[in-house]
Amino acid sequence: MSVTYTGGCQCGAVRFRVRGELKDASICHCRMCQKAFGAYYAPLVSTRGAELVWTRGERKTFRSSNFVERGFCGDCGTPLTYEAPDGVAVAAGAFDDPSLLPPVVQYGTEAKIGFVDRLHQLPGHRTEEDAEQAPFVLELVSYQHPDHDTATWPPETDK
Amino acid sequence: MTPKAGYSGGCQCGAVRYQAATELGYPHLCHCRMCQKASGNYALPLASAKRADFELTRGEPSWFHSSDLVRRGFCGTCGTPLFYDIPGTDFINVTLGSLDEPMAVQPVAQSNLAAKMPWFHALDVLPVEPDGDEAERTEAIRSSNHQHPDYDTQTWPQEKSHD
Repeated sequence: MSVTYTGGCQCGAVRFRVRGELKDASICHCRMCQKAFGAYYAPLVSTRGAELVWTRGERKTFRSSNFVERGFCGDCGTPLTYEAPDGVAVAAGAFDDPSLLPPVVQYGTEAKIGFVDRLHQLPGHRTEEDAEQAPFVLELVSYQHPDHDTATWPPETDK
Repeated sequence: MTPKAGYSGGCQCGAVRYQAATELGYPHLCHCRMCQKASGNYALPLASAKRADFELTRGEPSWFHSSDLVRRGFCGTCGTPLFYDIPGTDFINVTLGSLDEPMAVQPVAQSNLAAKMPWFHALDVLPVEPDGDEAERTEAIRSSNHQHPDYDTQTWPQEKSHD
């Protein structure tokens, strides 16, 4: 039985579909992945052995080294891919449901930032609690593409 | 290469560079679904810089209005997520991985836990891939690295003088 995963960028200009089993999800701490993602690591899901299809739009790419290209949405910037000679990995957070794809291994740990392991222990707040400091969160209307495929893009503006 | 007071940072390719002269406020990790998708990640680390102290030192970011209130800045050339901005306020948020020294700013909180990945805590104990047959590729990438260095440079695009 074939499993299907979908995803895309924040604005929805670029969408993808993966058919097949995705078993190789990882986080990479190397400084190139950090800076490319503006974060502490890049979470990447290898599509090797599965079928990756771009169902809407085209990603832009930046050649970060002679071996690797990194794909992103030119309209909203979402990092989308890490494309190496041995296959394409997709940014885990760009999948419509990243919780289905927990990472199983970490790479580039020579550049791992010391406090990363304890981030989940930090005091936490739900969005509603932020409303005291930033009341706008209660009235926020998102222009993010929904976490599923849509028939038309750009979205109709019937706000 | 001695950094000036404050913090510098920029995108992967170096087309967009910025400086924040003073301290960064409320460094935190946001787990909301908008930050997740905008950054292709499980969560996005952000901290605020006073707008008066903040300066773009090279290039201009591209912007996506993720809602009426918020716009997100990124490099149009390489895609790096850079800013979370609420126009009209006196501060701008920068992504902490785009800092030249991300280890210098430690988050103090997490926000929007409702969308937090249920296994986020388990990342701490993931097995580490041993060095091995990848060494050759690692060296090839190192020697042809097109990433901007983690400090300001005089010229951009960089001259092609890899070591």
